[in-house]
Amino acid sequence: MTTTTPATSGGEPTASTPAVSQRMRIVRGVFIALGLLGLAWGGFVLFDTVALGRLPGVVLWIGGAIVLHDAVLSPVVFGLGVLTRRAGHRLAGTVIVTVQAAIVLGSLMTLLVLPEIVAQRLGPKNPTVLPLDYAANLGLFWLVLLLLSLAVSVWFYARTRRANQRPSRRQS
Amino acid sequence: MFEARAQLASPVRNPRMATVVGRLLALAFLICFGTGLYSHFLQEPLPWMRFPTRPAGLYQFTQGTHILAGIACFPLLFAKLYVVFPQLFQYPPVKSFANFLERASIALFVGASLVEITIGLLNTYQWYPFPFPFRQVHFALSFVIIGSLLVHIGVKLPLIARHWRAAPAPAPEERHPVDTRSVPVIAATPTETSSDGLPRTGGITGRVLSYIDATPALPARTSRRGFLATVALGVTAVVGLTAGQTVAPLDGLNVFGPRKKGVGQQGVPVNRTSAQAKVGTAALATDWVLTVAHGSTERSFSRAELAALPQTAVDLPIACVEGWSQMASWRGVRLRDLVDQVGASPESDFRMISLEQRGGFKQTEMGREYVRDPLTLVALELNGEILDLEHGYPARLIAPGRPGVLQTKWLSRIEAIDA
Repeated sequence: MTTTTPATSGGEPTASTPAVSQRMRIVRGVFIALGLLGLAWGGFVLFDTVALGRLPGVVLWIGGAIVLHDAVLSPVVFGLGVLTRRAGHRLAGTVIVTVQAAIVLGSLMTLLVLPEIVAQRLGPKNPTVLPLDYAANLGLFWLVLLLLSLAVSVWFYARTRRANQRPSRRQS
Repeated sequence: MFEARAQLASPVRNPRMATVVGRLLALAFLICFGTGLYSHFLQEPLPWMRFPTRPAGLYQFTQGTHILAGIACFPLLFAKLYVVFPQLFQYPPVKSFANFLERASIALFVGASLVEITIGLLNTYQWYPFPFPFRQVHFALSFVIIGSLLVHIGVKLPLIARHWRAAPAPAPEERHPVDTRSVPVIAATPTETSSDGLPRTGGITGRVLSYIDATPALPARTSRRGFLATVALGVTAVVGLTAGQTVAPLDGLNVFGPRKKGVGQQGVPVNRTSAQAKVGTAALATDWVLTVAHGSTERSFSRAELAALPQTAVDLPIACVEGWSQMASWRGVRLRDLVDQVGASPESDFRMISLEQRGGFKQTEMGREYVRDPLTLVALELNGEILDLEHGYPARLIAPGRPGVLQTKWLSRIEAIDA
């Protein structure tokens, strides 16, 4: 095991904490009761306004979203984390984090803009909808990310090197 | 399962971070919920409801905020899910019946949230690849989400309370050496960890696991700061690069917004075209008249007659439910003056009827507060020109603080309700 720092041991939900006061119990009860009310109302509105035949589609999308996140997106993110740390293990942590941040930001934007590009290819209903060149802008966004993360990495790298070359007072 | 959780351990995956990101996400959800309800009731008011007509850009602000907070939910929700991901591998998977219910509500919460923001985003692109109606499902799921949010907060309240504030910084001697940077982070070499007592070291699984285990960890502080910086940059990027479709000063940064200010006939974007509404022939007919009715009193105005009435010029934004907005100069007859000609009382609400043959908004209703407002016009001109057909020629409605779908185009009849 290489990870588990003390920060992660901060606290599992310990239901058995003795200091759960009466007030806390009441507030929790109110939250949960209101929440159940909201859930019930949402369910009612769904049944009331959406044709019965369309409801399986809603369920399918909600289930699909969970599967897509838990079984596809998260493992990919985890794998990327491992790979970037592996590939950059001789580099300072700040440099690796910078590269990771750039990948995450680029992927996030791609995730949001890709459907926009698809919708544009399918043909918007009028020329004032989706009027920009989103594919080119996305490419430009990645390019800017690349340049910025490169600049920041070089800066971090230089700073770490300088710090390492100075005689250390703190390290034994 | 225990192994999986250990593999996923990371300095950012702790209750404090879950609290920090969680409350930002909760805030974004609540903003979306509040502004969404406001937009909903503007379009489908309960009988007793009255709305503020000032500031004139109120709806532009609330709906712009709805869309921007909604898009900010993407990085925030991903961040929150990243932080709590190891919880997925809780062991045993279900500890008790209450625990089962909690996990089920969280699954619903996560799934509904992801669907809600996704269909919301797709709606701004006017793309509907999902097998259900957008408006109804987006509305119903908002209650499901806020409900499960409240349940979630209720369940986690002790944990949230404990981590609401950062733990006081430990004194140097109490801190983990890695965290103080007094010890350089040394990557454990593969040979050290492969014999680290892992139950599986052979086969593909074992090799993958030891590969993962041998991966150097980042310093905890760097990791945490990097995570927070990434989330902040993510929110800034998705909001900053789309906000220009409604926030004028950010127009130059609008590279991903589904609309662009100034793009459209007479410098104003269009949502529903004359072709979609199938109004071309009726709107361009020379015998077009606008009929104004109050009870049995009716008057019809040709376009020339409307133009001969006292004209008022106003600057009002057209603000769409999809989050874009465009400031424009309108010129036309005050609605108040027009309905006064058929003896409307100040207490009358009106129904606006368009030439549109079909569509949810061919008929809309306008409360008295908008009817009596001096800024509410039956507009004949836009930005100094005769109203384009796409913007509602021969005459359209423009009122302060209302969604674009209620700014009825191609007006045909204005009648008092219950008069």
